[in-house]
Amino acid sequence: MLRPRELFIGKRFSRWLDRRIPPSSQITLTQKNVFIFPTRTGFAFGGLIVLLILGAINYQASLVYGVAFLLGSVFLVTILYTFRNLSGLRLTLAGTRPGFVGEDLEISIRVERPEGRAREGVQLSWPEGILQWAELSEQATDHVRLYVPAPHRGFFDPGRLLVETYYPLGLLRAWTWVDLDVRALVYPRPIFGEFPKTETGHRDEGELIDPLGSDDFHDIKSYRPGDPIRHIIWRSYARSDELMVKQYASYVEPRLWLRLESVNGDLEERISRLTGLALQATRLDREYGLKLANVRIPPGRGEAHLEQVLRELALHGLR
Amino acid sequence: MASAETGTSTGKAATGVAYQIPRNSLALLMIAQVAVVLPYLLQLSPWIVAVGLFCGMWRTNVYLGRWDYPQRWVKALLVVACLLAVGISGVGAFSLEATASLLIAAFALKLIEMKSRRDAYVVIFLGYFAIATQFLFDQTILMAAYQLVAFMLVTAAMVGMNQRQTRVRPALSLKLAGALVLQALPLTLIIFLLFPRMAPLWTVPLPGAGKMGLQETVRPGDIASLTQSDELAFRAVVNGRVPPPNQLYWRGLVYSDFEAGSWRAAERRRAASEPLTEPGDLAYEVLLEPTMQTWLYTLENSTSEDPGIYRTVDGRLESREPVLSVFRYRAIRHDRSGDAEPLSDSMRTRETAIDPGANPRIQEHGRALLDEQGSAVGMVRAVLAEIQQGPYRYTLSPPQYPGRDSIDDFWFEGRAGFCAHYASAFVYLLRSAGIPARMVGGYLGGEVNPITGHLMVRQYDAHAWAEFFDPALGWVRVDPTAAVAPERVERGLSAALSSEDRASLSLFTAARLGEWDVAADLLRWADSLEHRWNLWVVGYDSHYQSRFLKDLLGEVTPSRIGLAILVGGVVSLGFVAMVMFWGRRPVQRHPVEKAFRDFSDKLAGFGYPRRPEESPSAFVRRVAHQVGLAEAQIGGLVAELDTLLYNPAVAWGQRELRALRSQLRRLQFRLAFGTTR
Repeated sequence: MLRPRELFIGKRFSRWLDRRIPPSSQITLTQKNVFIFPTRTGFAFGGLIVLLILGAINYQASLVYGVAFLLGSVFLVTILYTFRNLSGLRLTLAGTRPGFVGEDLEISIRVERPEGRAREGVQLSWPEGILQWAELSEQATDHVRLYVPAPHRGFFDPGRLLVETYYPLGLLRAWTWVDLDVRALVYPRPIFGEFPKTETGHRDEGELIDPLGSDDFHDIKSYRPGDPIRHIIWRSYARSDELMVKQYASYVEPRLWLRLESVNGDLEERISRLTGLALQATRLDREYGLKLANVRIPPGRGEAHLEQVLRELALHGLR
Repeated sequence: MASAETGTSTGKAATGVAYQIPRNSLALLMIAQVAVVLPYLLQLSPWIVAVGLFCGMWRTNVYLGRWDYPQRWVKALLVVACLLAVGISGVGAFSLEATASLLIAAFALKLIEMKSRRDAYVVIFLGYFAIATQFLFDQTILMAAYQLVAFMLVTAAMVGMNQRQTRVRPALSLKLAGALVLQALPLTLIIFLLFPRMAPLWTVPLPGAGKMGLQETVRPGDIASLTQSDELAFRAVVNGRVPPPNQLYWRGLVYSDFEAGSWRAAERRRAASEPLTEPGDLAYEVLLEPTMQTWLYTLENSTSEDPGIYRTVDGRLESREPVLSVFRYRAIRHDRSGDAEPLSDSMRTRETAIDPGANPRIQEHGRALLDEQGSAVGMVRAVLAEIQQGPYRYTLSPPQYPGRDSIDDFWFEGRAGFCAHYASAFVYLLRSAGIPARMVGGYLGGEVNPITGHLMVRQYDAHAWAEFFDPALGWVRVDPTAAVAPERVERGLSAALSSEDRASLSLFTAARLGEWDVAADLLRWADSLEHRWNLWVVGYDSHYQSRFLKDLLGEVTPSRIGLAILVGGVVSLGFVAMVMFWGRRPVQRHPVEKAFRDFSDKLAGFGYPRRPEESPSAFVRRVAHQVGLAEAQIGGLVAELDTLLYNPAVAWGQRELRALRSQLRRLQFRLAFGTTR
């Protein structure tokens, strides 16, 4: 109802909420942390009742009084129903999936209801995110995936989660703001660009090999059909009866080290560029390492490596 | 009303799909609409109901995906059709029927075009409003039961509004709505009994359609047509023994002015002072069915202390407000014999007025009779004897006497008539002789319901008689019908009817008049039920409320009423809450489980919640590991926990349980200490 205002939970209210509903990754809803108030529809419903009572007075019609009072009583009983719809629910933070700045983060929440009593119309949302319904009528537990836009890199706390219900009549709204102590990791926004060309020549650091058409001796290995015949070491064949070939290599690309100094821009832009490079390298299946002020991740490849690198980039300078 | 909520249901972003009213709710709303509109067939033009149901059919086809929403011109056409239907139904522009017609039209038209959540709620509220409005026309127990079902349907539609779009389970919504309404009923009853009743605040549009019953202007043949109806006129409860039928003359209207063949009752003036000082000999109460008129039916020489009722110059009781719903009033009949107050000159002129140009023969006859008898009383006796001896006939279907000299035609030519013909001729004869006389319209007799002992007076009990003024006796009642058909007066209409008259009666009338015993018994039983409903519910007005409250609270003050409502509300809602939350009580747990649960709840408070997938021992291990406790410090506890929880072979008693508890407490303490570090 008051959503636009609730987007900016006042500081005082926020402090009061922190005392009343302290952050925890698991919260059970009770009468202590559930609020309830009529909606605008509810107030209109009250207006309808007043109108009917006026009619009953003017027409002296007992049963019109009866309808008005029945509506009023239904409203009062609905308070219990609406409250019960949230009461007893247990919310647990089930996990978060990291995302990049500007994307939507996936935060999954486990909602459990006590056995036996079906719930309907339980809605979860973060102020900036998209609302989701928890399906608790037939099943006792539901995993709700919520998506919140990630505003900045590092650990992100989306704030308090709004749990609300208008069930059963839409005349009343029961709600609560819970802090599930979410710490979702947000990777920097990637900027894609060229791989830096500066790193050349160091034998001890290069890794990539171009096996053909080069002249620096690199290694000896046993012959396999298709190896150039002029690379065969005939001398060793005479000795061991085994065909060996010389391998020549050139360091076409040296090892890729992601370093803040090797890209341009201010700190955030540099971090974004390195993020982009890490993603590109992973897609090309190239090995790369990361060197930051206090962090050194040796070169590697694969998803796990990427995650480690992105995590360090996300948290750089924030710890 | 719901624009903000529309936002919540569709997702805040306008990017999502357009809002759709849940199908569940739509289906229920369409059923509810039919249920709410149908009873209006009884009051409104069938055209307006037809337009309403047509809209419902269109919406159903939209719902089923067969048709599209109506074009703008179709909607315009429907609006015009509604207005036309109101127009041709012939109700007054500001009558209740016109208002109700427009309400139904709005209800139907809104249903057909509703798309948003707000629209749906408008339709739902209009539905409730239409249910309440129906009670302005009909408050019988049957209608109340019907409307309770309609109320549940509308409520179910509202439940559906708050369910997911994908859930189409009308039966579940209905069940919940039914539970809601039933659980609300006790509280409704409490508020109904305690909510203070007030006098009307302003005048309201009245139903335009006249109700059946006596009218202010009556031609002598009109009353016979009333006998075709078995509709109830009123019920009466008499304190003590019910007098015999020939003493139950219920006076309603006094017809003093005769003009062009019809009688008019126009007297509304209030009696000057309290004229009846004689002791009351009969107290009774009347529950008058709605008449839309102000006159009340009472026995002769009755007074009432009720507010809003006054006594007129011609000795009747009038209500200040038209009787729109069942109206209860208490009255006392006074034993009046003898000394009359003198008739004022203006009254005398009025009660002897005749048109000298019309009915010359009866005028002459009247004057001759007075000359012959010499006194008013003597003349009355002579007229009655003439009726008795002459070939006069009492019949439901007399010939028409349309001419200017209608009374002459009846008295000297046709000689067949119903009560009003005789009364009318009698009055005319006396007036011709200069004796003040007037015709009285009302009901005679009534049937005693053996179940509750009340009197039922129906339209077929309608009757007309005469009164003449004697200087010594005052106004004296004379019933000329008694001279021609004494059975009518002694034993009711049925006894006085000829066989062809009986054959012309309607089915229900015949049944009530005792043609079929079983049916008559059933109808009596239904009547006793309706009577109780009227006594306790429909007729529960400020008078009965104050009496009830005095019994309940001793002294009626606003604070006591408030307190009573509060206590009643808390008790009834508390009961509902108990029913609702009872099932939630945690089941009696295994004591070890309970001990562990307390422990894990405490730990969750310290910031170590147990993960859903963790076993108790895994949980203890993890937490211990997190705060840096060695395995040795918890190993025993973990083993103990696993044994007590999962090994059914191990017997354990209070001692083991106590030991486990203290161990858990110790760990808890260490953890608490650890966290504060």
